[in-house]
Amino acid sequence: MNRKLFFTRFALCAFVIVRAQSYNQLWIPDTLSGTVFNLTAKDTFKQIVSGNQTITGGFNSNFWGPTLFVNKGDVVHMNIKNELQDTTTVHWHGMHLPAIMDGGPHQKIAPNTTWSPYWKVSNHAATYWYHPHLDMMAQKQITEGLGGFLIVRDSNERSLNLPRTYGIDDIPLAITDRDIDHGTKQFVEVPYGDSIMVNGTLRPQYTVPSQIVRFRILDAAIETSYNLGFSDNRSFTVITTDGGLLNSPVTISGTAPRFLISAGERVEILVNFSGQSGNSVFLKAYNSTLPQNVPGGDFFPGGPFVSYLGKQDYNILKLNVGPQTSNAVINVPSTLANNVYYVASQASYTRTVTISDSTGVTTPPILGPNAFIINHKLFDINYINYTVPLDNIEIWEIKSTSGFSHPFHIHDVEFNILTRNGVAPAAYEQGWKDVVLVKSNETVRFIAKFDDYADVLKPYMFHCHIAMHEDEGMMGQFVVGQAPTGITDIQKNKNMVIYPNPTSGVIHFEMSNQVIISKIEVISTHGQTLMETKNEAQNKVDISGLTTGMYFLKLTDDKGVSYIKSYYKE
Amino acid sequence: MNLHFKILMPVSFVLFLSFGFKIQNEKIYFNEKIISSFVLNDIYGKLFSLDNYKKNKGCIVVFTCNHCPFATLYQERLNKLNEKYKEKGFPLIAINSISAVDFPEENISDLKKRAKDKKYNFPYLVDTKQEAARLFGASKTPHAFVVYWQNNQWLVKYNGAIDDNGAEPAKAEEHYVENAINELIAGKSVSVKETKSIGCAIKFKN
Repeated sequence: MNRKLFFTRFALCAFVIVRAQSYNQLWIPDTLSGTVFNLTAKDTFKQIVSGNQTITGGFNSNFWGPTLFVNKGDVVHMNIKNELQDTTTVHWHGMHLPAIMDGGPHQKIAPNTTWSPYWKVSNHAATYWYHPHLDMMAQKQITEGLGGFLIVRDSNERSLNLPRTYGIDDIPLAITDRDIDHGTKQFVEVPYGDSIMVNGTLRPQYTVPSQIVRFRILDAAIETSYNLGFSDNRSFTVITTDGGLLNSPVTISGTAPRFLISAGERVEILVNFSGQSGNSVFLKAYNSTLPQNVPGGDFFPGGPFVSYLGKQDYNILKLNVGPQTSNAVINVPSTLANNVYYVASQASYTRTVTISDSTGVTTPPILGPNAFIINHKLFDINYINYTVPLDNIEIWEIKSTSGFSHPFHIHDVEFNILTRNGVAPAAYEQGWKDVVLVKSNETVRFIAKFDDYADVLKPYMFHCHIAMHEDEGMMGQFVVGQAPTGITDIQKNKNMVIYPNPTSGVIHFEMSNQVIISKIEVISTHGQTLMETKNEAQNKVDISGLTTGMYFLKLTDDKGVSYIKSYYKE
Repeated sequence: MNLHFKILMPVSFVLFLSFGFKIQNEKIYFNEKIISSFVLNDIYGKLFSLDNYKKNKGCIVVFTCNHCPFATLYQERLNKLNEKYKEKGFPLIAINSISAVDFPEENISDLKKRAKDKKYNFPYLVDTKQEAARLFGASKTPHAFVVYWQNNQWLVKYNGAIDDNGAEPAKAEEHYVENAINELIAGKSVSVKETKSIGCAIKFKN
């Protein structure tokens, strides 16, 4: 066989193989709207590849769940029935709501029970989502497919001439990847997959009208970041960040327009298909250009982190351009919103949060060999890392010394990124965010106001949104509370022991973590400091002069760290 | 419900005792689990003892339930398996080890209703204490075991899925349970001894 013939045959074979990989129609999740939403989480199955079906989980569906449309200002009631074999939780990712409604690891829903949170929607119009958040089970349950979009509408967004016909010119895309065992056809619970899925559809294609189309993109992956772009390198326009419209649209253009999205993040983009009816283009992940320390840019040829799609470019979604619809949007609005963001000078407190690798950390013992940690500590569900006073505007400085990048997510608030390594973020990141990719050895500073919902007992979470890292303990928690006056950083530390309690005379205390207490304060339940003394009497204080009732004993160590516990004066 | 469960084997026969050996590198015999006999009530309250099945060559034990969508795909197939293999010495026994507290559809009256509606032609046992599930190591519904009476003991010869297509039985390419029994009947060793059982997890109560 001469070379030419060989190559012709080779090309023919390749063509046949490509043709054999037929596309599937992209599934668009059903919608629910109103103020009462009923969701049932169940174990089910779905025909994902040929042969046996894959065991999946879904809300009212056999993978993923309905898209919930809510209006800003409405009080929404959710009824979440758990028909899974396992306990679960449902977290309203990005929603500003009371901690007890948040659906974090503390709001467990046992099998065959219903959880009914409610809250007043105060978020800006944007694309949010819901997903399980059970401690150490998030990866398993998200892998099964449990999740869904939550779309907030508001009057500002409604007033704009934006594509808004769901499934026609306003298309939700939950991008994820799964490793599917070729023998059993079942999902394998690993961080990186070998198959891209959009809205649960493998090799998806969709027909879009020849006009401006809005894509609501969610990185719903366990770990992967996607460096998004189009196969013809067309430009596209970013109109939102995680938690709202940008003030002005930001067009990504140039020779290779790309947008990096990481686990948990959302972005809405506008793409102009005007006059392109009959053409096709691919939405792709250009992950070959990502550095090794960004999830999806790393490549492992084997082992538990084998990443078949690592450091490669691949198709996510084939878009076929069809005819234009009536009332087509053909221009991008020049202004979108009038957000006023907090500035650094408004912050009353800066909290430093560290992200690091667990290498060399032996106390406490680390679960996995590749665990990453926050503040040099694994997650402990009984430990409150911070108490944030209600209405505080704070700067959170996320300082990474990790060799890997981590999408850092905080509950309760939408924040604004102030700086990345001291430099203002790109224009398309200058909006409301709740996830930020903190790159290896990067320091990200963001600002947020912790308003409306105080509860000193029920914490909100902050964590890496790589589900595996979260499950392994890369998570912390904070409460928002009306702390006694003057206390800005209480550590509800179980190391603090006070006795006797109740007491009528002298109260003794001990610190099992060996810190040296230098200052003692007795504070009333109204936050008034009643006594303040140096610790000169060997870890005790005489409170016989106080009237009967509840008090706080606040201790401050020689490094300025405060500890507080309540006690009862007889 | 007056369900009870007894270990009838001598105490010296430790549960889950297993043996296995390797012949050079050619052939690996999987550990064959020994199942001690057990007694459970069926859905009608009638006592069932595995030892009553000693007269057969063996049996097919399938852990199943009412609520799991993947398990319900196999209801017809359980009847067919029993029909086909009962007379060949391998009758089928179904066991329900799912908590009716967690899943109300698993209560006795619903189990009876399902058995009637689907014309179950096999005994359907209720494993309220999940002891049979633990004994076999059942992890899913459905989860099938082919047990064989050999050397005066019950040996698990196959453990896993019934076949390789839940929703479309006609498209199944591998019929693991049938293949295992056919091989046993032909006096051969079972070629596929274990597969991954696929379905809803059986959650064990502590």
